[in-house]
Amino acid sequence: MKQLFDKYKREFIVLLATIAMCAIFTIMNSNFLRWSNFLTILQQMVLNSILAVGMMFAIITGGIDLSIGCTFAITGIVVASITVGGGNPIIAIIAGLIVGAVLGAFNGFLVNNLKLQPFIATLGTMSLYRGIAYVVTGGQPVTNVPDSYRNIFNGKMFAGIRYYIIVMIIVFVVAYIILQKTRTGAYLYAVGGNEEAAKLSGVNTVRTKYIAYIICGVCASIAGLVMLASLGSAESTAGTGYETNAIAAAAIGGTRMAGGRGTPFGTFIGGLMLAVLKVGMVVINVDSFWQYVVTGIIIIVASYFEFLQQDVQAFLARRKQA
Amino acid sequence: MGKAVEFTKINKYFPGVHVLKDISFSVEEGEVHALLGENGAGKSTLLNILHGVYPEYEGEVKLHGKKVHFKDPNQAIVEGRISKVHQETLVVKDLTVGQNITLGYEPLKGRLVDYGKMNKDVNEILKDLDCNFKAEDIAATLTSGQMQMLAIARALYHKSTIISLDEPTASLSQKETEALFKVVQKLKKDGVTIMYVSHRLEEIFQICDRATIMRDGEYICTLDVGKTNRDELIHAMVGRSVAAVASRQKPCRKQDEVVLKVENLTGKGYDHVSFELHKGEILGFFGLVGAGRTETMRAIFGADKRLGGKIYIHGKEVTGSWYSTKALKSGIGLIPEDRKTQGFLTLSSNIDNIAIASLEKYMKGAFMDPKQQRANAERYFKEMDIHPNDPDYLTKNLSGGNQQKVILSRWMSTDADIIIFDEPTKGVDVAAKAEIYRLMEDMLEEGKSIIVVSSELPEVMGLSDRIIIMCEGHINKEFNRDEFKSSDEMLDYAIGGN
Repeated sequence: MKQLFDKYKREFIVLLATIAMCAIFTIMNSNFLRWSNFLTILQQMVLNSILAVGMMFAIITGGIDLSIGCTFAITGIVVASITVGGGNPIIAIIAGLIVGAVLGAFNGFLVNNLKLQPFIATLGTMSLYRGIAYVVTGGQPVTNVPDSYRNIFNGKMFAGIRYYIIVMIIVFVVAYIILQKTRTGAYLYAVGGNEEAAKLSGVNTVRTKYIAYIICGVCASIAGLVMLASLGSAESTAGTGYETNAIAAAAIGGTRMAGGRGTPFGTFIGGLMLAVLKVGMVVINVDSFWQYVVTGIIIIVASYFEFLQQDVQAFLARRKQA
Repeated sequence: MGKAVEFTKINKYFPGVHVLKDISFSVEEGEVHALLGENGAGKSTLLNILHGVYPEYEGEVKLHGKKVHFKDPNQAIVEGRISKVHQETLVVKDLTVGQNITLGYEPLKGRLVDYGKMNKDVNEILKDLDCNFKAEDIAATLTSGQMQMLAIARALYHKSTIISLDEPTASLSQKETEALFKVVQKLKKDGVTIMYVSHRLEEIFQICDRATIMRDGEYICTLDVGKTNRDELIHAMVGRSVAAVASRQKPCRKQDEVVLKVENLTGKGYDHVSFELHKGEILGFFGLVGAGRTETMRAIFGADKRLGGKIYIHGKEVTGSWYSTKALKSGIGLIPEDRKTQGFLTLSSNIDNIAIASLEKYMKGAFMDPKQQRANAERYFKEMDIHPNDPDYLTKNLSGGNQQKVILSRWMSTDADIIIFDEPTKGVDVAAKAEIYRLMEDMLEEGKSIIVVSSELPEVMGLSDRIIIMCEGHINKEFNRDEFKSSDEMLDYAIGGN
């Protein structure tokens, strides 16, 4: 237990802050505690946290992927076109995931083979992919996605829980297994912690970074699939600005922006905190303009936890010696 | 003469560790005072307290008889007039020498920087120090020796009366070291007090007046350098007698079998390098800094691309793209020169740092088994006597010698049977050095073969079965062990003689 706490110290602090936030919202409006509201929070966090967990892979290697919002949009368009044209929904889903993998791999190519800075490379592909989305659709939305597709993600199980909640949980579990249980995971952290040292330890750093960007792209596609199912239509403007929310969720959850550290658990909590905040502010009727102000402040404060935690640790260590 | 620095009952704690225990001693004004001890003895911590890096400690520090307690290094430099020249000098490479030296305290004309005055002032100091570079030069163009001078010039710019030099010669060539010593003598004449930290004992005898020895965070003694000898110093540092010189304790195990063959290897910094490594031998590579040894080794390990030439491992030619993962699979390991930037993973524990090159050995089905990783790390911790004995500790918090042992463990955990050591004992204390030499011989016994790249002649001559001397990117001479004569001869070949 103690070991678990030591490992996830940072995550637990954010979790505590989230619970405290829930308590405050409940005191201000007891409706916050309803089951239906809890479901709203879960639904609210699905897209952002799936995007964030992918983003986390890129960040762990010391990179970043600004193009995920556009991958998200392209996936929606591709899958919508296939299903609207009468294609098999499962084949459409596979095609959507391949789109994510290919777009992610292209980011990996720019970062690995052309040695571009990840920020600049994906800033470029962000515009490039968005442009492709516009060109392909001519700016028109693809509508009337059949229910046969939508129900795969949007259908309800029990207690009002939709299947895409399960999808989100699967994404996080798979991310956990990759990072904590496989060699690839160890290599991802190693590359982010010190790329040169990883290379000189025989780690295939090129392959590792490719994997990170492909996973990031695939996660963006999964989020795109979920979005398409719940809206029933795809637009080339979808997902604009989503990359910043994804970065925020990962950062709040303790992902180190310079690479080498970050856990799916933390990113999940980060996504949860942002969703609680968003839903909570609606429940207590905060003016929508002010919501931005509050969200901004919370992101800054949450990032400060990093230092706060170090201070607390140093304080405890001093008391132990005294 | 008064006392420049007085430490009284200094205690310092890090989380869980008592790193300095009741340290008390003093440094006379105008002397060159050596601070000696193994890695982890607490020298750096003590210097960091003196220079305001660690503002929290118990005890009292007096400078020139006045009690001080600095909040940060800047206050120490400006108010205490005490400067530290770092092991790895800190320069902003894109700025000029003048900007670097005056950084934060630029001479002003109104609200703007007065570059005319800056360059004039700095050039005066540089001239005083006999430097061959100018205030207007970009810092990136300096050699490591010149950067060391830049750091000293910065101390003088702040009119420091006390200067600490922390391993100043670690990356300097012979010539640069001599130039540095001249400067130290000059500073001493001008009444500046110098605190000198180095692992190279010869240097202590060359330029220091007295030496304070620390061990395991405790003060041991202060000796008059003129009245002591090498053995006494080592004994005080280690607490027992150690063979400080590199030597072979076990018989030669060199066999005829060639495990690594390089033909006409050519790339950036090396040209047509050809040699063979035999099974069970230690092949030394000697040369000056910049001779192309590191570059050659990195190409063999696949860390950098080569432009031409062939590599044969166990008789098989290397084909296709060649990178470190493949090199490791074919049995080559490389222990790099710079532990901090190339050696250990900064954010990782000792367990992870040891396991990273051999993860495929700790699998349970498709998944890693942390228990096996831990068991492997614990085995090496016991075998190599690594301090502190905690596999969960972050490697970056260990001392240099212990970090090197962790990296050695990493490679011993792999199946690599050709191990390349690049400056294996740089910044490593005497006792750890002896242990690393012993481990190398153990490796030979296991049938492995070793290449040692080193700039320390006694080390190469003591260890190697054969020595290859490189100069300006090519092999200038090869010696067999029975041909080793004088170090002067070797040095002559290293600087291009024949």
